[in-house]
Amino acid sequence: MSIRVQRFPSAPPSAALAARAAAIVLALLVAGIILAGTGASPLKLAGQVIKATFGSSFGLEDVGLLVTPLILTGLSVAVAQRIGAWNIGGEGQFYAGAFAATGVALFIPGPSVVMLPLMFVAGAIGGALWILIPTLARAYADVNELITTLLLNFVATLLVYWVATGPWLDPGGQALATTARLPHDIPEFWGIVHWGFPLAVVITILVAAVLAFTRWGYEVRIAGSNPQAAKYAGMPFRRHLILVMLLSGAIAGIAGMFEVAGTVHRLQGGISNNFGYLGIMVAVLARGSALGVLAGAALMGIILNSGIILQTQGLNVSTVLAITGLILFFTAIGDELAHYRIIRTEPAKA
Amino acid sequence: MTASAATPATMEIAPGTPPLVLLKGICKYFPGVIANKDVDLDVMPGEIHALLGENGAGKSTLMNILTGIYQPDAGEIIIDGYARTFASPVEAIAAGIGMVHQHFKLVKAFTVAENIHLGWDETPKRISAQALEARTAELAGALNLAVRPEARVGDLSTGEQQRVEILRVLTRNARVLILDEPTAVLTPAEAHELFKALKEFVSRGNAVIFISHKLDEVLEISDRITVLRGGRKVTTELTKDCSQKMLARLMVGHDIVLSNLRARGPNAAQVSKEPVMRLRSVSARNGDGNTVLQGISLDIHAGEILGIAGVAGNGQKELSQVLTGMRPAASGEIVVGGKDFSGAGAAEFAAFGVGHIPEDRLYSGLAPALSVTDNAVIREYMKPPVSVGRFFRPRAATGLARQIAEAASVMVPDFGMPVRNLSGGNQQRLVARREMRIADKVLIAAYPSRGLDVGAINTMMRYFVELRDLGVGVILISEELEELLNLSDRIAVMFHGEIMGIAETGSASIEDIGLMMGGQRGGFVAASTAEV
Repeated sequence: MSIRVQRFPSAPPSAALAARAAAIVLALLVAGIILAGTGASPLKLAGQVIKATFGSSFGLEDVGLLVTPLILTGLSVAVAQRIGAWNIGGEGQFYAGAFAATGVALFIPGPSVVMLPLMFVAGAIGGALWILIPTLARAYADVNELITTLLLNFVATLLVYWVATGPWLDPGGQALATTARLPHDIPEFWGIVHWGFPLAVVITILVAAVLAFTRWGYEVRIAGSNPQAAKYAGMPFRRHLILVMLLSGAIAGIAGMFEVAGTVHRLQGGISNNFGYLGIMVAVLARGSALGVLAGAALMGIILNSGIILQTQGLNVSTVLAITGLILFFTAIGDELAHYRIIRTEPAKA
Repeated sequence: MTASAATPATMEIAPGTPPLVLLKGICKYFPGVIANKDVDLDVMPGEIHALLGENGAGKSTLMNILTGIYQPDAGEIIIDGYARTFASPVEAIAAGIGMVHQHFKLVKAFTVAENIHLGWDETPKRISAQALEARTAELAGALNLAVRPEARVGDLSTGEQQRVEILRVLTRNARVLILDEPTAVLTPAEAHELFKALKEFVSRGNAVIFISHKLDEVLEISDRITVLRGGRKVTTELTKDCSQKMLARLMVGHDIVLSNLRARGPNAAQVSKEPVMRLRSVSARNGDGNTVLQGISLDIHAGEILGIAGVAGNGQKELSQVLTGMRPAASGEIVVGGKDFSGAGAAEFAAFGVGHIPEDRLYSGLAPALSVTDNAVIREYMKPPVSVGRFFRPRAATGLARQIAEAASVMVPDFGMPVRNLSGGNQQRLVARREMRIADKVLIAAYPSRGLDVGAINTMMRYFVELRDLGVGVILISEELEELLNLSDRIAVMFHGEIMGIAETGSASIEDIGLMMGGQRGGFVAASTAEV
């Protein structure tokens, strides 16, 4: 009798989930070993992180502020995946949404009750406009959206740097590299966490419900999984592709609006904090499920917050990026390994 | 010669010669499926050994084990007297075992010479195109396979491409050549050429394993025949002791009655006077702008079965797409139910009552990664009970899916699991039942029996008869002439995107149809395109 490992075409959900949990534990373990190598005590650090995050409502509020944009940028990527598109441009759409919302806030006078919804709409439109060209190029010329959305990130980043240090620079002269403070704030919901957080959760649930319980959602599911099958069933693939990609951009744009109007209150370079890119990771952790995004974003938010705490302990910011990278890396391996099972084989009968 | 002793049919060769290939007790299991169980096989030098069996009998799995694509769960592989294990196809090739797959693995943009030398460690590191072509010509000459070294593979006919594929395997010093249904893509003349080359190859002390389910050609070419059924070996027999009838019985496990299904009962719907679907001089192009259909004129009447014969790849797929609105006609006229459908899309055809069993069900008929439920309701998701207004009701969808699966007699353990986890035959049955539900007027069935065993094929054919008797026009595209002759009222033959002729089944001979499949125009075309 011999023992052999065989790959199966599908992974059982329990194995997939276990592989993911193992991946996160392994990543933290490896990070801990490396930290120990630098002379730090990983156990002590871990204790501090847990205490600072969960020991007080301040820690949880910090996490909540980080989770809000992550939910939306993660949802943005997950939604695009539904139609079979990779939106790597969440970062750019985030900036575009923040930019549009800031423009509306700074240059149109009005009471907050009117202006905040207007800024919300402007943020969504800004994000959607930023993905418009990649969307049309994909829909009509079959240009890969992966590259076009990615490249537009750099344009948006630099555009916001320029307006924040140039034309829209705070006329009061107090700040060196930001716009003036926005006249409208998203009100607070719990501690320092603004109403963007529950809104982001509601948007996610709404999108998940639309995808699961409407004819449109069904068509998007089929079209995204196999465009040929959509053609076979006579579904308008191109129309769905365009609409879903624009929706994806709009969601990332809303994340930008929440960040500028709820958390930072000024438009500045680097405002996105890599939330756009981290959204890709959130979506991967969520396995493309809209509701899974909530869990993925929560995990990501905790990791980011741990990073901030670790920085106060004298650790480099890249340590945290390394940990997130490790998690993604081990998750990818775990997803593949979940397909394998150990098999016993018997020799031929004599 | 333990292996030969174990089997009654022994080759007449020098005693003590070890078999080139000896498989002993091979077992291979997939989740829920026994692909191979205790299979023994011996292949002697100088022999063409046919491997016969229905779809799903385990032929391909066995050969994938022999060529190192799969590893056996039990059993031994003995090559030339030595036990071997192949961790990969590379090791099998090094041991002299080469396989030509049904779908060629050639680079179409490369020349024949480049394809022959691709990924071969004997290819000189630096070499000019001329020298490469000269080398290829030399190799081809030595192996007696005529190829044009400078030609681009994309420009070659299927028969020529197959020759290149065989040459590529043989240049790697293969002593055992495995061919997986090699004649499926060939015209009769091309198949004849292939057989000559194979005889020549084994006369040098090599061996060929010939996978097929066509009884006549197996009887023509092979020395011995091994029959597999349900993953187990049934027997190995000398070809000269076999007859078609006996082989068919061994394959299926019982006598099959090839019944004439053309006769109609008293209550059957009459063939309609007016066609339900009419094509006039329709042409169509592929994505590259090349014409793939040319001057197609067809009438499909309600209550008849129209067969479409031809070697696969002669425009049948494109025709089925035009007939279902998936591919727009470049010119010509399509009239469905008296209305002009020339610009209509797939949704309009389906809404009129045109069902479509596509030839490549995983590529276009299903979304493999989605659930059985999602795939089962793809034709009826837009109407109650699955949808009410804009709302989709997952529970109602699963109810409909359960109904379809029951009608198709497909066991589905979990309707939420991806449809790709079902076997190919079950997928096909599910698609067929799904399409029959909407096919009130016309059903287009492209190669519906592919991947099904004989019992399931019979059931499927009876479905078609049932639809015909209800007054549905059925278009049956198939490469099995027997199937077409048993079932269709008329048979149209396609070649290079054109219809060579349409024959009344009663008056057509297999020879006439065979000639049209090879590109000759039938003389009786004019008579049968007219009113039935």
